[in-house]
Amino acid sequence: MDQELDLARRAAAGDAAAFAALVRAHEAAVRRFLARLTRGDGADDLAQEVFLKAWRSADAFRGDGSYRAWLMRIAWTLFLSAHRARGRRDAREQAAPVPESAHDRDAAIDLQRALAGLGERERAAALLCFGEGCSHGEAAAIMAIPLGTLKSILARARTALVQRLEA
Amino acid sequence: MNDDERIAALFAAPERAPDEAFVARIERAVLAEQRMKAAWAWAWRRFAVECAASGAVVTAFYLLWRLGPANLPLDQLPVGPAAAAILVLGLWFGVELRASATGR
Repeated sequence: MDQELDLARRAAAGDAAAFAALVRAHEAAVRRFLARLTRGDGADDLAQEVFLKAWRSADAFRGDGSYRAWLMRIAWTLFLSAHRARGRRDAREQAAPVPESAHDRDAAIDLQRALAGLGERERAAALLCFGEGCSHGEAAAIMAIPLGTLKSILARARTALVQRLEA
Repeated sequence: MNDDERIAALFAAPERAPDEAFVARIERAVLAEQRMKAAWAWAWRRFAVECAASGAVVTAFYLLWRLGPANLPLDQLPVGPAAAAILVLGLWFGVELRASATGR
């Protein structure tokens, strides 16, 4: 954590190598979150935007939470802007890219089915808490909603996921 | 397997090594952004210097026009501080124009 804060401070001072180390540490989580949220549609371009925005506003990271949570918050904000600009209809009709291996493919299809039909907030809350291991407080901060709201969204998402798994 | 375990299994993702191609892509984008920022800063500085130089020359011309004798014969040059200043500013402006034309 201290090392990460040090890297973040160096990045804020314009150290591109320190920022590259942060990208290397967090790109998998950010890209996975966005790929599942967008169902693969332009997720990598959005992830690039996330990291560029993080670079531009590197001095805004105060270190009061984890760097990953800060990146996830940027990702969520950019996703909302992009998603709302394009319209919800397209995103619901898009299919995610299918992974190469049979096991990963089956898992991705199961997850895709389970997430299908969930609203964007339910999907994001489930992805953050079940997929990325964020605490409820962290997820609420990332999504910029009160903790109670997050909990009720998450409960709805959980119920919907269980119903789909049983169907 | 209870519901929470099934959900956790559904969302589980295999650990993987960092994607160096993606990291390189971000590094290139950051480098391009740094260069763009530097180019903009240089362009604005140059623009400000040229505006100041142009303003100084125009002001000098105006002062010379106001301070100089009316209907000065062509064989008598208006020698004085304003004339010296306008000569210096004119040379400066010329150098600035040449520098901005060659990009140095």
